[in-house]
Amino acid sequence: MNDFAQWLATTDISLAIQTRSWVIPTVQSIHIVCIGIVLASVFMIDLRIFGLAGRDQTLKQTTRRFSPWLWGSLVVLLVTGALMVVGEPVRELMSFSFWLKMSLLVLGILIAVVFQLALKRNERDWEHAIVNRWTTKSLAVLTLLVWCSIIVLGRLIAYDHVWGSWSLKPVI
Amino acid sequence: MDAAAVLKSVESSGLAGWIRDSLYAFPLIESFHVIGLAMVFGTIAIVDPRLLGLASAHRPFTKVAEVLKWTWVAFGLTITTGLLMFITNATVYFQNVHFRWKMVLIALSGLNMLVFELTCGRNVQRWDKDRAAPMAGKLAAVLSLIMWISVIFFGRWIGFTITGTAAPPPDVEINLDDLFK
Repeated sequence: MNDFAQWLATTDISLAIQTRSWVIPTVQSIHIVCIGIVLASVFMIDLRIFGLAGRDQTLKQTTRRFSPWLWGSLVVLLVTGALMVVGEPVRELMSFSFWLKMSLLVLGILIAVVFQLALKRNERDWEHAIVNRWTTKSLAVLTLLVWCSIIVLGRLIAYDHVWGSWSLKPVI
Repeated sequence: MDAAAVLKSVESSGLAGWIRDSLYAFPLIESFHVIGLAMVFGTIAIVDPRLLGLASAHRPFTKVAEVLKWTWVAFGLTITTGLLMFITNATVYFQNVHFRWKMVLIALSGLNMLVFELTCGRNVQRWDKDRAAPMAGKLAAVLSLIMWISVIFFGRWIGFTITGTAAPPPDVEINLDDLFK
């Protein structure tokens, strides 16, 4: 992985990002804006599952309101995230936080896809029965925790030394 | 006491020193700052598009705006974590031009909200069920979105323009593997 990161850092596109100091902060700022939209979207669907907000809306209406914003922002997050990896390959790919974050991201996306498919397949049961199950509510809390952990791990990429010997950073 | 002395004294407080010396405190505080500001912006990005008629247009504005109580909770978290980061290096942050712009923009966002509440917000029942708010409300929404996005940009730029910030380089050998031995 170190070799790959070192090679990526020598590519033209990576050098183009590295030599323009405004690119990384700009890309990171756009990344944070989209994180806000994803987190709030997940939070609103969670609040609806708990009956704490949007009770004038069905679960289906709430999900339909927020899922385009969620998926749209996720696409922007993947693009800006990829630009950060290309711009600073060693910093990203050689950090423990990054790989743990990617694993949780897969989990977060998986939960979102399964939830939306399950809701579509069984709309009527969801509105009145499934939404009240404790397993559904636990999953809702877990999902929010997963996304919050993704945010924390994203920030910790800048401080990978907190992982001590788990960090993949080459020792200088 | 002048401003410089106040900044120096918060910097030398026990709490500021503890955050500076800890390997984990600053990164974790900063992470929770991001969670807080993400929630602040994310919830505002639900309400403002409603004023513009771009999302949730079929729902009464007052229903959509109920989410703002969570904005305030998140704002509390963001302010608290922001203050904790500020005290670790108060003089440097205070002199940073991006930090200053960020504070000005947060103040202007507050003012924008206040003006909205005193004008458009006063007769909300008249347009509550309309697809979009009157022009004054739309203007407030656009200003709010522009200013909060700018706050995020300036905030990120602070990290790239200050030197000698809190995060200490690891001078102790940490070995997490020992935890499981």
